[in-house]
Amino acid sequence: MKQFIRFLFSHRFLALLKKEFAQVRRDRRLAISLVIPPVLQLLLFSLVLNANVSDIKLGVIDESRTPESRDLASTLTESKSFRLSGYYYSVDKLGDAISRSDVDAGLVIPRTYARDLQRGRPVTVQFLLNAMNANTAAIAQGYAEGVIQTYNQGISSSGIHANFSQIAAPEVSRRGRAVLTPAYLYNPGLVGSWFVVTGILGLLLILNGSMVAATAMVKEREAGTIEQLLMSPAGTYEIIVAKIVPLFLALFLMVLFATAIIKIAFGVPFQGNILMVLSGAALCVLAGIGIGTVIATFTHSAQQAQLTSFFVNPLLTTVSGAITPSEAIPAWLRPLSSINPIHHFSVIARSSMIKGSGMETLWPNFLVLAAFTLIAVSLSVWRFRKQLT
Amino acid sequence: MRRILAQTRKELTQIIRDKMALGLALFLPLMQLILMGSAISLDVQDLPVAVQDLDDSPASHEFVDGFRQSISFHVVPYAIDRQPENAFLENKARAVLIVPSHFSRDIARGVNSPVQFLIDASDSNTAKLMAGYSSEITSAWNATNGALAHPAPVTAAIRFWFNPGRSSKKFYGPGIFVLAMSLFPPLLATLACAKEGEQKTILQVYVSSISAHEYLLGKILTFMIVAGAECLVLLTLLFTYFGLSFAGDPTPFIVATILYAFCVSSFGALIGSAIPSQVAAMQTVAMFGFLLVFMLSGLIFPIQNIPPQIRWLSNFVWGRYYIDIVRDALLQGGGWPAVWWKVLIIGVTGLFFYTIVWRNMRRMQLKA
Repeated sequence: MKQFIRFLFSHRFLALLKKEFAQVRRDRRLAISLVIPPVLQLLLFSLVLNANVSDIKLGVIDESRTPESRDLASTLTESKSFRLSGYYYSVDKLGDAISRSDVDAGLVIPRTYARDLQRGRPVTVQFLLNAMNANTAAIAQGYAEGVIQTYNQGISSSGIHANFSQIAAPEVSRRGRAVLTPAYLYNPGLVGSWFVVTGILGLLLILNGSMVAATAMVKEREAGTIEQLLMSPAGTYEIIVAKIVPLFLALFLMVLFATAIIKIAFGVPFQGNILMVLSGAALCVLAGIGIGTVIATFTHSAQQAQLTSFFVNPLLTTVSGAITPSEAIPAWLRPLSSINPIHHFSVIARSSMIKGSGMETLWPNFLVLAAFTLIAVSLSVWRFRKQLT
Repeated sequence: MRRILAQTRKELTQIIRDKMALGLALFLPLMQLILMGSAISLDVQDLPVAVQDLDDSPASHEFVDGFRQSISFHVVPYAIDRQPENAFLENKARAVLIVPSHFSRDIARGVNSPVQFLIDASDSNTAKLMAGYSSEITSAWNATNGALAHPAPVTAAIRFWFNPGRSSKKFYGPGIFVLAMSLFPPLLATLACAKEGEQKTILQVYVSSISAHEYLLGKILTFMIVAGAECLVLLTLLFTYFGLSFAGDPTPFIVATILYAFCVSSFGALIGSAIPSQVAAMQTVAMFGFLLVFMLSGLIFPIQNIPPQIRWLSNFVWGRYYIDIVRDALLQGGGWPAVWWKVLIIGVTGLFFYTIVWRNMRRMQLKA
């Protein structure tokens, strides 16, 4: 430890640090890339990546043409979930409209609808859904069933109820029913952006961190000054640490900036300890820098570094569970997501900010983040010397 | 014509000799399609549910078994005396089902028994799905248990068209296919054009007798061929791993694919000749290709969900129309009547890009 502190204040290291700070400070493109992407990505992604299902276009075939059937159609369309797009007169026409995407869902009310209801006979209406988008279809199904359930309860007030009670089972043999009451904890308003924003934060730190670090590292090589650095009395780790420190500080400013946006623009509740989230973010930034330096030591130019990041970034993004739920990742990809720093940071950010989980449950995530950072940075120190060959 | 083909041959040789470019052209799209197609999904299964059965009777066991049987949930053990919120704080469960101690007595007496279902709503979409699944399970239990003293007057027979298994893969697969087609061919086209500018080999082109049309068409034809090869590789994957097939008339898809290849290659050539630096040109194309097509074309989430203030932007995103065409060809089968105008838009956009880049290049001289 003492040695480490002495190293930090050694003259050689401070000189290197001064050089790197001066370089970072004068790099205007770096400053831009620390401000624009967070704002753009946080705002745009969270506005656009919205899984809410509303205004499903509903086409209706009403063969019954009675007050009862119109009542059913209007019950469905009075909510925000469905919007009446038109009446059709044949099933073929409705089928065509669905396959042209003119309507998303179709309701077919049979001719005997009103008569059956009056006589106390159960009726089945057909509900066609364009299930191309599986998620929308699942949620629309839930909506439709919910509306029809409410409609069934409301039937009692329209005089039809009496007929149904008569044919129902006698009181004595009737069994009770289980009534499930769902309660939404932590996000009772079901605000969709909270989930996305907390995931995007990790994405931003890793992708932006690795890009900034890779460009900064590769610059030395492109300019040909790397030989001078390697010839200097400074050790490899001194050079790398001196490069990392100013980048880390700059990126950490971005973290604070992004956190402020999350708090102010999206109103995400900060239930847990903010310092814990920030220390997770700091680890995440280091992991991003680590990825960037590793990429940089394998490539010869900024162009190659960027092309390589095309191979690495989609991999990191898709198996992270940052934008889509991590349970949806198939089993054969789970091992990849369990070493993915974005995944661990999004767990930390989400659990702490929205639910208020503490260190006692999140320590495994911190551990993996720290291990990942350590491995990435040591790998780049090890690779650094070999760059000249 | 001969000069165009010669140009194309030269470009193709260059790509085949550049390992990075070849990987970018064929390997990366394949990897992206497999990874994103299987990992991007909102359709969750096996969600952990903690059960606190305070009744512990045959009736309550039967009720909980309903949750156990569902593929959407899997029941995790959780002690009765612990606070249910702790399961959420520790990320052990996504929902907690609490059966009251008077459950079986209520059922036997014919009284409705309240069962609580606490949902961790920090992921709101999954929370909504869980609420839907759990209410379906409960009503199925009520129905089989003869509890339906009042048969429901109206029931809906819900039919899922075009994707009856509600497989996410079948929806996202075609989308990622479009993403790959909108990202990689223009990226390579940009690199090829920007390289000429950066290495100043463009001067050799200027002094040769080749005309602007021939030069551009040669470049664009190359990357249309690359896009075609990529399309074949990806389609094979879509037909096998993703289990898709042509749902109807494939001609709109074929015509649209050729036009789209022309459109994106012209776009790449446009950026590449406007920005004579490979890194900057690449960044621009990646931003347009990725950001616009990924975000504003309805690839993951429906366009209707984008707030109207920025939704109009999606009308200018060429990938949006191609996504509709591909999904129509592989899932809906609406054919020409459904998509003819989208094919037209892609063609017009391609011509528009080509005209701009030609106007920039037509004098075949260095800019003063």
